[in-house]
Amino acid sequence: MIELEGIEKTYTRGDVVTRVLKDISFEIHPGQYVAIMGASGTGKSTLMNILGCLDKPTDGHYRLDGTDMVELDDEDLSHLRNHKIGFVFQQFHLLQRTTALKNTLLPLIYADRYPEEAEELAEEALAMVGLSDRIDYRPSQLSGGQQQRVAIARALINNPAILLADEPTGNLDSRSGAEVMSIFQRLHRQGRTIVIVTHDRELAEHAQRVIVLEDGQIAEDHRISQPRDAEAELAALAPAEENVG
Amino acid sequence: MKILRTASEGLESLAANKLRTCFMMAGTVVGIAALTVIMAIGKGTEAQVMRRVENFGPRAMMLVAGGGRTIGPPDASVATLTLADARAVRDEVPGLEIVTPQAWQMGAGLRFGGNQSKATMWGIEPEWHDAWNWYTVEGDGITDEDVATMARVCVIGSSVKRDLFGDVDPIGESLYINKVAVEVKGVLERRGVAGASGGDFDNRILLPITTAMRRVMNVDHIGGVRIITSDANRMADQAEQITRLMRVRHRITPPAEDDFRINSPLAIAEVVRGTSGTLTMLLTGLAGLSLLVGGVVLMNILLISVAERTAEIGLRRAVGATRRDIFHQFLTESLSVTFLGMILGSALGWGVSLAIQRWTTMPVVVSWEPLAVAIGFALLIGTFFGVQPARRAARLNPVEALR
Ligand SMILES: Nc1ncnc2c1ncn2[C@@H]1O[C@H](COP(=O)(O)OP(=O)(O)O)[C@@H](O)[C@H]1O
Ligand SMILES: [Mg+2]
Repeated sequence: MIELEGIEKTYTRGDVVTRVLKDISFEIHPGQYVAIMGASGTGKSTLMNILGCLDKPTDGHYRLDGTDMVELDDEDLSHLRNHKIGFVFQQFHLLQRTTALKNTLLPLIYADRYPEEAEELAEEALAMVGLSDRIDYRPSQLSGGQQQRVAIARALINNPAILLADEPTGNLDSRSGAEVMSIFQRLHRQGRTIVIVTHDRELAEHAQRVIVLEDGQIAEDHRISQPRDAEAELAALAPAEENVG
Repeated sequence: MKILRTASEGLESLAANKLRTCFMMAGTVVGIAALTVIMAIGKGTEAQVMRRVENFGPRAMMLVAGGGRTIGPPDASVATLTLADARAVRDEVPGLEIVTPQAWQMGAGLRFGGNQSKATMWGIEPEWHDAWNWYTVEGDGITDEDVATMARVCVIGSSVKRDLFGDVDPIGESLYINKVAVEVKGVLERRGVAGASGGDFDNRILLPITTAMRRVMNVDHIGGVRIITSDANRMADQAEQITRLMRVRHRITPPAEDDFRINSPLAIAEVVRGTSGTLTMLLTGLAGLSLLVGGVVLMNILLISVAERTAEIGLRRAVGATRRDIFHQFLTESLSVTFLGMILGSALGWGVSLAIQRWTTMPVVVSWEPLAVAIGFALLIGTFFGVQPARRAARLNPVEALR
């Protein structure tokens, strides 16, 4: 359960005060699939970093499953990220010299207790994104779409309360993008809470709910009665040699 | 344990960047190798000092004719010391157990029948045997009567016996020394050690000092005075008194140079240490410079690496690494580099020490002790130069690092 209440984020450089987020309040319930949409520079990434406990708001309250993260120190926030948050970034951010398997289990290294079955968990997560046959590949040996799927596996390995994705298809061709979107939809059907950030309205309409940001404020917040079906879109695209999950 | 997992992340990055790791390590390798050699030479030198002092006698001093700073016996032509000087020392310096004058000549020609050899000839008094703790194993030593009567007798070292007499029993036989016939009355116990100048200690022949001075060398001066103190703690003080006495007797006022010198365990130690001192100083400079420059290089490469891996650090923070985890990872990198460098440097230093031992006369003792010092240095350098990069990595703002 995510509760935002009067979130403000301002940057001060010298005399110039930039108000990037203005009085943002909303709730996201477990199992929801939400898209945060807006033009470039409206503060989507800033908001996502706050949702992911990477950044603190200047003012306001953010409760994640009842805990107000504003009260927590850097170490507690790290622990919170480690077991409640799964991040997916536009740039994938994989360790280049490391295999898909090792990349996937990276969050477990920072867990309080390293599970004995870490590698099995990573293999399972990679299977979930259709990369069972690529576990020993390095990022340079994988396509962009495959790299982003490794990143999704990594985000899933800790069984997080929320999956946060910032422009996850921004660096992908349309087919790989559709694959990634269909994975998100499948994860949503399995009960995951997902927040996806995008500037693209079509992409946003894959979610159940769209929050539109304009100039750091919530301009719209509405349900999508008929979300787009990524699976169907993928099928409509020219067939490729590889299949997803 | 989590700390082991974050440490292993640091190790993996080292393994993945082997060339970079070599650059980071070079200074430590050279520095630790130099340190290892320094310690081996130091230990060897001290062992040699111990051996020399043991040989010379820990309670012994030698008042030697002629100035200068070498340990070996002077030229017989230096005519500055007399029997009267020896008597003056005996009478005027308190706390001395033995004061016994000696005259000597290097390379004195010996002949017995058809056999010839050269040996160091020593003119001595009976106390010589006590002063050097060196007695005869066959026959008798030199007596007071021999000295008083300028007797034509001698005691020979085991090498002289071997070279001149072979299987013949030398006792009672006469040999010629510089054309003077002397009867062999005793054979010295074999010492089997080399003297300060490297010669064979057992290649010597002892005559009563009067016989040597009057009949063989025809001189009025002696070569030196062997002195045994009754209290080793007073030795420095007594040496000082002897110096003052000699200056008065020889009318020397500093800064004029002394025409005598006093050898003592301290002086011997000083000379032995002096021979390896220059090399040790050079190596110390090399070690210090390598460790310092190596440490700075290590730090800078780590700082560059932190800058290059900003996104990686941001990602690790995003998936749950705490600042401390990141700090550990980079400090592990630094410490592993210096630790590995320490092992390679110790091996290199060990090899160089063995080579010095084998191919030079420099005293070297290879031991495990330098390793402990090397480990200490590795930890010190790794920590000192690793902390700043590790701290910088830990303090990166994850949001900015990921941008
Ligand atoms: N550290 C910062 N200092 C000043 N301004 C910032 C900083 N970070 C972000 N901003 C500004 O905040 C605004 C929102 O940025 P961002 O959240 O990245 O937007 P979006 O992801 O919607 O494109 C931008 O105008 C950006 O310039
Ligand atoms: Mg953005």
